[in-house]
Amino acid sequence: MNLQGVDYFILLLYFAFVLGIGWYLKRTVATSADFLTSQHSVPVWITSLAFVAANLGAQELIGMCASGAKYGIMTAHFYWVGAVPAMVFMGVFMMPFYFGSRARSVPEYLKLRFDEKTRGLNAISFAVMTVFSSGISMYALGLLLRLVLGWSFTASVLLSAAIVLIYTLLGGLTSAIYNEVLQFFLIVIGFSPLAILSVTRAGGWEGLRSRLPEVMTSAWRYMGQPAENPMGIDTFGMVAGLGFVLSFGYWCTNFLVVQRALAARNMAEGRLTPLIGAFPKMFMPFIVIVPGIAAVALSHMGLNYDLPRKGAGFDYDQVLTTLMAQFYPAGLLGVGLTGLMASFMSGMAGNVTAFNTVFTYDIYQSYIRKNAADSHYLTVGRVATIAGVLLSIGCAYLTALYNNILDLLQLVFGFVNAPLFATFLLGMFWKRASANGAFYGLLCGTAAAAATHGLTVAEGKGGWITPLATYPSSMAQNFWVAIWAFTVCFLVTITVSLMTKPKEVAELKGLVWGVTPIPHDGTVPWWKKPVLLGSVALGVVLILNWIFR
Amino acid sequence: MDLRKPSGYFFCLLGVVLTLLGVAAPGMRAPLTDINVNLYVGIAMLVFGIILLLLARRAAA
Repeated sequence: MNLQGVDYFILLLYFAFVLGIGWYLKRTVATSADFLTSQHSVPVWITSLAFVAANLGAQELIGMCASGAKYGIMTAHFYWVGAVPAMVFMGVFMMPFYFGSRARSVPEYLKLRFDEKTRGLNAISFAVMTVFSSGISMYALGLLLRLVLGWSFTASVLLSAAIVLIYTLLGGLTSAIYNEVLQFFLIVIGFSPLAILSVTRAGGWEGLRSRLPEVMTSAWRYMGQPAENPMGIDTFGMVAGLGFVLSFGYWCTNFLVVQRALAARNMAEGRLTPLIGAFPKMFMPFIVIVPGIAAVALSHMGLNYDLPRKGAGFDYDQVLTTLMAQFYPAGLLGVGLTGLMASFMSGMAGNVTAFNTVFTYDIYQSYIRKNAADSHYLTVGRVATIAGVLLSIGCAYLTALYNNILDLLQLVFGFVNAPLFATFLLGMFWKRASANGAFYGLLCGTAAAAATHGLTVAEGKGGWITPLATYPSSMAQNFWVAIWAFTVCFLVTITVSLMTKPKEVAELKGLVWGVTPIPHDGTVPWWKKPVLLGSVALGVVLILNWIFR
Repeated sequence: MDLRKPSGYFFCLLGVVLTLLGVAAPGMRAPLTDINVNLYVGIAMLVFGIILLLLARRAAA
């Protein structure tokens, strides 16, 4: 792929705008809370798009296109079974407790609802995970730019990290969120032409269906038995593992996304954030997954296009960029490449801003220095931002040891996030859940995740304790790891809670269902009523599932 | 800051660059495209940018 002057100009224009937004927002930062939480100052349309964009990192664009080519339209389950129902649940049922508790972070909610050790466990595991995710994002960027443009891995990693570092240091969370929205627009506008051009060239959706095995264009028809589909998963594993445990764990308890909703101006807008975000989210498969499916069809059409290869197999992670090279002339190619850069940056900035908040409030202020002046914590927040970026760079080099980005991420989420949703579900809806119950539930859940991974093998991964069972694919293994982690955490939390002393009901005000005032919707229009808006989102997603069944 | 303003300017600028490129080099093609995509995407971006700016202006008024 060769870039022309105009492509570099577009890239530079984008850099200038993100840095400019950071520079302009510098004046909004006076306290640690301005820097780390935005102090409930962000309009709801911005928090909603940032909620979606913070997750729209490298893994999403490259990984989803890769999975589209590998598994077909089944990949859309990550959105239509996974993300959207979880986002609706988050907005309707969970935001009232996050807002009602006045917690500044997810670990802080755990401290208020349970105790210090539960917070510590979550804060530390989250901090490690964020740095890791951010490193994966960077690694993907560096690798891709080296393969496609011949840029040096180190130079592209350092350049993109430096830009993210500058704009998050200048304007804090507000700057990260505002830029995520610009990045979101750029990603959508930069990649929709690719979807339209590639699908049109392959003869439209009907053309894709006639050129590909039916399993590639059917989301549900081949889900009866794991052996019938390339993902190697059945309906139960998909709905319970991905749809329920993994997605609810990610969208409802991952501070990276929760932080965007908490930046909203009030509880009503906080609840609307994931609900409004659900609408663009449910249409993302058409931009990120469908081009991957089209690529497979195009490779069968004698157009002198073949799927990228690595050794004997396909290199699916390069499908997106090879498509760009086939369909984008100079100019639009610059836009596409800038969109790719934007996705890396939004993902990375999301991780870095979540990391610095958890580090400053939940680790430093809780365990290292409790009662310092606010200016001290502002400095700590800034130092944590720099440290987060440096650690991510370290992780980027570490990630080079692993292969499929998406599978690896799912594995990490399985260990850390899957048990967490059981803790929140019980914590928010069962007054009896006790601090010790939550803590030991989480520990056992994470241990169960590791044990499942250690006792089973899929595609040569796992089985490091002793291989007892085999799954047809890593994805199936990841889903089952999550299911076991959730189940064990859920049962252990209940058992230990029943044996230990619960918290006084007075202490649970604002934290648990039944003792938290849920504001009445009043006379606002329907799209401002969480339950109605959520139902509409679920209805549209059902229709999408039906159309692509 | 009203984010619609800087985003609007950004997409207007980008739209102008692509549209001009589409007009100046209408024959530019990638291996598998047979239309002047720079021109069409450029116009779409310009329209999107203008809509953002108009929305920002209406909100300020």
